Amino acid sequence: MSDHTLSGRAALPAVVRRMLHGGGLWPALPAVIFLVIFLVLPMVTLLAFGFVTIERGRIVGETLTLQHLQSALQDTLIWRLTWRSFYVAVISTVLSLVLAYPVAYLFSQTRGIWRMLILVAVISPLLTSALVRAYAWLVILGGRRGLLNQTLLNLGLIDQPLRLLNTDWAVIIGMTQIHLPFMILPLLAVLSGRDRRLEEAACNLGAGQVRTFFSVVVPMSIPAIFAGLALVFAVSYTNFIVPQLLGGGSYATLAVQVYEQTVVVLDWTRGAVLATILLSSCFVFVYLIVAAGSRLSRWTERMS
Amino acid sequence: MSHILLEGVVKSYGSARILDNCTLSVARGEVMTLLGPSGCGKTTLLRTLAGFVTPEKGRIVVGGTEISHLAPNHRSVGYVFQNYALFPHLTVAQNVAYGLKVRRRPASEITKRVGDALELVALEGLGERYPAQLSGGQQQRVAIARVLVLEPEVLLLDEPFNALDAKLRLTMQVELRKLIDRVGITSIFVTHDQSEAMMLSDKVAVMRAGQIEQVATPLDIYDQPVNDYVAGFIGRANVLAVEVRGGIVTAAAQVTTTRGDGPARLIVRPENLAFSDVATPWSGEVFFASAQGPTIEYEIDTGQTQPLRLVVQRKAGQYPLATGTTVNVGIVDPAGCIVIGSAASV
Repeated sequence: MSDHTLSGRAALPAVVRRMLHGGGLWPALPAVIFLVIFLVLPMVTLLAFGFVTIERGRIVGETLTLQHLQSALQDTLIWRLTWRSFYVAVISTVLSLVLAYPVAYLFSQTRGIWRMLILVAVISPLLTSALVRAYAWLVILGGRRGLLNQTLLNLGLIDQPLRLLNTDWAVIIGMTQIHLPFMILPLLAVLSGRDRRLEEAACNLGAGQVRTFFSVVVPMSIPAIFAGLALVFAVSYTNFIVPQLLGGGSYATLAVQVYEQTVVVLDWTRGAVLATILLSSCFVFVYLIVAAGSRLSRWTERMS
Repeated sequence: MSHILLEGVVKSYGSARILDNCTLSVARGEVMTLLGPSGCGKTTLLRTLAGFVTPEKGRIVVGGTEISHLAPNHRSVGYVFQNYALFPHLTVAQNVAYGLKVRRRPASEITKRVGDALELVALEGLGERYPAQLSGGQQQRVAIARVLVLEPEVLLLDEPFNALDAKLRLTMQVELRKLIDRVGITSIFVTHDQSEAMMLSDKVAVMRAGQIEQVATPLDIYDQPVNDYVAGFIGRANVLAVEVRGGIVTAAAQVTTTRGDGPARLIVRPENLAFSDVATPWSGEVFFASAQGPTIEYEIDTGQTQPLRLVVQRKAGQYPLATGTTVNVGIVDPAGCIVIGSAASV
């Protein structure tokens, strides 16, 4: 490189030079622009609808108002729906963890073709849409003639068909299955990349397999556990397809209510207010999960 | 009586035989080093003792009890891993306390013994740190304290100095040997570094391709290697193809041997060769010379396949001979030479 080009570079403004250098936040710029236009702005608009009064498709009044939010917060129905969204999401998230961990652990213990098969089994459900999978559960759980009840009746395990569809359990089962990959994948990555010598060390110090698993393997996977918990909680808490299909017509969660107010009742203001409550409470819960996770894995901060 | 006894240990992975009939005996309180290049099976042999590897054949006896079929967590064998394998999510004190907690010792006893163990390795006051906050040398000491606190019968160390830089390595080697002597524990090291083996061990077992070639004190191995491989692994050696005629080596008449007539090889250490004023069987040109401070090392091209290596003591102000200088090379001490069979007859 000649002196000429060097001095030419130096003459450029600092900002441009930094951009050309590619450091800092600049590489993320295209994604940031995309997200601002197609995610942040629509979301702000949507949420803003909750703080104005809309009549016949027009915004009435000049100022923003908290009145809609206040009335929603005073509505016991909204609290009931929030509570249901919450406990359904919590149970489904915990179930996901309990079901996902053995799969991820098994993956880390196997080699070759078995590993491949597990991975395909974990990922392939993601190839079908959540809607299709929810309908599949409708067929399995549905009524007297549903696949599950038929099988159990034929096997003589039950006398009366179980009432599963249109209950919390149908929603929880459906959600857990649909969101399971989101729990398995982070666990799978961390568990299969873990340092096996730590387990040998524990074993050498006298720990049996069970003790080694709970005192070494599980603590080391805490970052992945909490990443999975946050991810699955967020998608379960805000999911409206599964509760709507498997919960039946009279079953509602906060997310279902947002959908109905916006699309069916066409009360955009109320829909926006409920969306605000849904998103902000979801944010708080996810934050708490992440905070708990980083508190339990403080040792990772000191890793070089 | 031997404290550790490995008898006819065999281990294969597929068709590759990693351990081929290894037999080794270590006396109580002795420090043994398994020395060999990477892939020679030395770490596998150590892991067999710890129970991480199950051999197909052979017996393992520690302190008179056969432990071959004992699960690794029931063996009284402390293992220090190459990169220490400290639990990153536990503090130093928790790492050291781990084995005691597994054994359900009372809390007061744990606190006391952890304190004693940390004091033993000069880490008192660092108990609340996490492993990642320690230097490599400190981590190594935690790993040692973590196993010594359980008072095992045997201490096994897999290349414990690999992760340390050269300067620290030397200090830690001396410190570790002192510590082992203080505790008086029977220990087995694994290393590929011959100077480490010489410095640390009472006995060295030189391994090649899953077999133990020779077990002896470091100096005995240096002076009396059983073959050219061992000679080349501990220290440097000139290996020369010679003929034996009536108990005398043809190329070096002063060297006598009990071997029968025929082709043989002569092993001569570089410091056992010197320049000679009179004609010798080996004359040639200085091919390469390097001054090391106390010594000068020469490579002399005598027209054979390998140049002769020669080390002479250096006096102050003395400079190496120029490359190309013609010199005669003779043996200093004929008794220090070893005659072994030729490559074909081994």
